[in-house]
Amino acid sequence: MKAVNLIPPEQRSGGSVGARSEGAVFAVLGLLAGLAVLTLLYGVAHHQLSSRRAEAATLSARAQQVQEQAAALAPYTSFVALREQRLQAIAQLIGSRFDWAGSLGELSRVLPSDVALSTLAGTVGSTTAGTSSSSSSFSSSARAAATSSSASSAAAAATPISSATPPGAAPSFTLSGCAASQAVVAQTLVRLRLISGVSDVTLQSSTESGSGGGGGGSGSCPGGDPVFTVQASFQPLPTPLATSTEKLESTVATSAGQGAYSAVASTTAGGGR
Amino acid sequence: MTRRDRLVLIGIVLLAVLAGGWLLVVSPERKQAVAEQAQMESANQQLQSAQTQAATARAAKLRYTAAYSTVVSLGKAVPPSEEVPSLIYELNQASHQRNVNFNSITTGASGGAAGVGAAKAGSAAAAAAPAGFTQMPFTFVFKGTFKGLAHLLGEIQGFAVRTTTGGLLVSGRLLSIQGVDIALESGGGVSAGGAGAGAKGAGASSAASSNVPLTATITATAYVLPASQGLTGGATPIGPSGAPSTVAGGSAGSTTTPAVVRVAP
Repeated sequence: MKAVNLIPPEQRSGGSVGARSEGAVFAVLGLLAGLAVLTLLYGVAHHQLSSRRAEAATLSARAQQVQEQAAALAPYTSFVALREQRLQAIAQLIGSRFDWAGSLGELSRVLPSDVALSTLAGTVGSTTAGTSSSSSSFSSSARAAATSSSASSAAAAATPISSATPPGAAPSFTLSGCAASQAVVAQTLVRLRLISGVSDVTLQSSTESGSGGGGGGSGSCPGGDPVFTVQASFQPLPTPLATSTEKLESTVATSAGQGAYSAVASTTAGGGR
Repeated sequence: MTRRDRLVLIGIVLLAVLAGGWLLVVSPERKQAVAEQAQMESANQQLQSAQTQAATARAAKLRYTAAYSTVVSLGKAVPPSEEVPSLIYELNQASHQRNVNFNSITTGASGGAAGVGAAKAGSAAAAAAPAGFTQMPFTFVFKGTFKGLAHLLGEIQGFAVRTTTGGLLVSGRLLSIQGVDIALESGGGVSAGGAGAGAKGAGASSAASSNVPLTATITATAYVLPASQGLTGGATPIGPSGAPSTVAGGSAGSTTTPAVVRVAP
């Protein structure tokens, strides 16, 4: 059996719906599809926005809460900072001191036996090393030492001073006394260089008592022995190395003297100081 | 208008509508979402920073007892006030141990040339003392043998020392010795000490074996905590000033109690 189209031929020209609507259908469909995509994108963005806002608010609230906790404990942090500050400051002060006992002990060991000292003046930060002009004949490096001493003192003055014995200050001993002979004075100069940390030894004067000099003292030595004055300059005090507070803290200790100190301090607590 | 032209026109209008929708609705929302992302990251950083602070504070709270003990111990080296009586006591004790006579103590540097030089250094240092410590220059006079005086200097500087392990050992006042002037006790100088000078080795050279009396004038500087801090800055063994536990304990606002330093461990 063969199919027969019963529509009259003149009415068959319409074809498809699109063709009959002259593109309006495509426009509507395209618009709908576009709007659907836009809606989808908008929904995704809106969801992200909402979730992020909520998360940011949550984080801010938590941050504020934790900050309040930290603020409540801030005095503890400040106190620990105070302790660290004092540890470092005291360690710095201790580290910038000169070892007087050790140097005097070495001095007593290196001096020749036929030398008698009448005075010993030790200073930290002295700048008098370069004032003696008579030392050059005995110490080849006297001038250089004087210059370097002045330079180091100037450097010490230029750097911020943090201690009564600031780093960079050069300790020195000025010794006056009697020697058995000029040769012993020379030996003394050599021996003084053996002291740890001595950078230069300068002879300021060495005069036999009978010759009317006496730069080394106000009087004379018995038997006309030479009176001498010698200055031993030490290397500038080093800058204390920074130490971790933990290391300082871990071994902070007090020795047995605290009880006695406590007793005295207690008695002074009520009275005027 | 042909059918083709009509389709092109519809396409243009369609694209225009979609572009308008994108620009007016979707794009601003996406920009806000991006901005909110940055805000969220900022809040996250704030939270992490706050958590770090809180952790530090909690650690500080845990270490408070040890820190308090340390600060109190350090108060022996650098007390909150002059504490001259205790200084005299310490020096007297140290000199007795070394068979040295503690002759005098003078506030301020008033020694000889060494003292003057040291005083200058001390006054210069006063302006920049570490941690705001106030400097107190002293001049001490001791009488004894060379060996005794040398050991006494070690004893004095041993009041506060660094240990070999790097820690601090505090047994008394921290003193920085700036000058030492040693002379024969009879007045100093060769002429005054004629008898001493006549004997070879009467001074330092044979000090270890001689008992020649010497006078040592020592210029030193002690340190005092700044008045604004006090020994513990208002902290008590319970907690620091202003801490919640302290407030709860009713100790807030209590003044600095120097007596705390007198508590022997």
